[in-house]
Amino acid sequence: MSALELLGGGFLAAFELWAFLTIVTGLLIGVVAGALPGISFVNAMAMALPFTYVMEPTQSMLFLGGIYVGGVFGGSISAILINVPGTPASLPATWDGYPMTKRGEAKRALTIAVTASATGGLVSALMLAFLSAPFASFALKFSQPEFFAATVLGLVSVIAIAKDQPVITMVSLLLGIVVGTVGVDPLYGQARFSFGIPEMESGIRFVVVMIGLFAIGEVVDLLATNRDLRPKKADGKAVGARLKDILYVKGAILRGTGIGCMIGLIPGAGATPGAVIAYGIEKQVSKRGDKFGTGIEEGLAAPEAAKNATTGAAMVPLLTLGIPGSAATAIMLAAMMLQGVNPGPLLFIMDPSMVYTIFAAMIIANVLMIGAGIGVAQMFSTLMRTPPAILAAFIIVLSVIGAYGVRNNIFDVYVCLAFGVLGWGMKRVGFPSAPLVLGVILGPLAERYFLTSLANSRQDWTVFFTRPISATILCLALVFILWSLAPGLKTLFLRRRS
Amino acid sequence: MAPSPVRDQTSRNSTAGGGLTPGMIRLLLMALPVGVFLMALILPGYMFETDQKPTEIGLGPAAWPRAMLLALAIFSALWIAQDIWVLGRAGRTPLLRIPKEDGHYHFGKALVGLVMIVLYGWLLSVLGFAISTAVFIATWCVFGGLRKISVVLPVSVIGTIALLWLFMGLALMPLPRGVGIFGEFSIWLLRAVGIY
Repeated sequence: MSALELLGGGFLAAFELWAFLTIVTGLLIGVVAGALPGISFVNAMAMALPFTYVMEPTQSMLFLGGIYVGGVFGGSISAILINVPGTPASLPATWDGYPMTKRGEAKRALTIAVTASATGGLVSALMLAFLSAPFASFALKFSQPEFFAATVLGLVSVIAIAKDQPVITMVSLLLGIVVGTVGVDPLYGQARFSFGIPEMESGIRFVVVMIGLFAIGEVVDLLATNRDLRPKKADGKAVGARLKDILYVKGAILRGTGIGCMIGLIPGAGATPGAVIAYGIEKQVSKRGDKFGTGIEEGLAAPEAAKNATTGAAMVPLLTLGIPGSAATAIMLAAMMLQGVNPGPLLFIMDPSMVYTIFAAMIIANVLMIGAGIGVAQMFSTLMRTPPAILAAFIIVLSVIGAYGVRNNIFDVYVCLAFGVLGWGMKRVGFPSAPLVLGVILGPLAERYFLTSLANSRQDWTVFFTRPISATILCLALVFILWSLAPGLKTLFLRRRS
Repeated sequence: MAPSPVRDQTSRNSTAGGGLTPGMIRLLLMALPVGVFLMALILPGYMFETDQKPTEIGLGPAAWPRAMLLALAIFSALWIAQDIWVLGRAGRTPLLRIPKEDGHYHFGKALVGLVMIVLYGWLLSVLGFAISTAVFIATWCVFGGLRKISVVLPVSVIGTIALLWLFMGLALMPLPRGVGIFGEFSIWLLRAVGIY
């Protein structure tokens, strides 16, 4: 049977009442969990895992797939509305989405975000359906040096958000990486920078840092400026997105989707580097790149498309090779194994109907996400009409619960509050906090891949440059740095000549 | 002599700096890279506990943090150099610039808000989630300008119970119950709302 026929069968199975309701339920849970800071969709997937015991294997995958697709988008709702990313991958949504909210264009920002996310997710789901096999053989060539190179690419993409402060951005990024080294190291098992505090040995979780830096500083500023976040009407026109707005960002959506599909295929890379790299590239490509960070539509659309485009792509190594590329796909792998299903090339031969039903469900989930996303966003948008004092109090309480919930530990609350005070101070003096957060997220991954690459190659440093894919990605990272710094260097050169 | 436009901007932003003079703000902004630089130099000495000997197999657990701290020292030194160069050459502000606020920034209000948040975090383990959250929401609302008791009281009490039900009842999160009498009150409350 051809892939098209199998996909048709998959659609028929996915549109059966119970299967369809399962997808919708998963999607709604994912969007809501993703939108709550600290209660990530990965936590929701982990909490949903026991419920899958009573389901059929295919139904369990539809349920978890729905949470996955909805959750990756859901994080952007809180990022756009209250400047607190619900998930790490939603970090770029705060850079251009939240300034739109401050202008009273929350509804427009959310519509652009959900459309871009759904397009990215839909394209990657189609790619999953038709291109799984060839990509699987490509993904097999990836090992630790390639993962390290991909993480480096994600880290250097921060240069693109540097505006005119590359040195300060690098300091912020490196501070984040240093924070990420606190606790037991990934290879030798020895605790670093614990300063005699037992809780520090478990490390500092990026979620805690992220909540502290973004939520607390923002809430305090809300209090100090008496800012009104209620949706406004500009010049008598409705502030929701029109078709013209969506068409205007179609290039950004397509570029973001392409980048997300490529990054998502790399096991371990995930949605965060995908979104950040897409933002960085869009900043260079866009005619309004110099205005990024002030509420530019392309700056919101590209990373949104990229992060959801990683969802289908991340399923390729999971289904074809049995390699989970992220925490979310690892939970899906666990669910499959609990059901007695072993993912890998044999699954396509033994149970193609299940595989293609999952593909169809991913496509359906991305289409339904437009409705679910707008519905949940509308609910959150209505919340914005509450008085700022009440809103701020609940954001703080939810942030504290989010930090506590990471490990059910009060120490994480203290760390969160410390980073909150720090984040407020950073904001006051104009020190960028986004690179620091990126450093805390990607730093530990980079260290792990770096050390294991060297350990596997008997400490041979050339391993990163002798492997073709790794060398290509590192070259890309170098090109990216030069590309980002080129305008500044050109100005400097011209000033010197004149 | 007319003041430079950059100096003017610093003066305008003095409200964002909480009443500090432009000179003090400049000093503060220049002290930051120096602090980061010193921290990057000092921290490697505090990487491990005194009784802990790092393994010598391969690169060891200190290699990555050391490399990152070295890079941090280099970049913060570059930052200091750039700041000194900019100040020496043209008498302009340091690289870091205090962002302009759209309206007036109440610095004192922000500081009180920060203290309230830190106090809330500290009181969580003593008073328990229920009491500290209800008190925090009520205090924050009053401080934020809501004076109607008929709004503040229901928001804090019903809001706290809703959060308790959602996170302790539904998500089974073991939020702090407090110590002593506060712990007993939390248990009574949890039983009363049907969570225990």
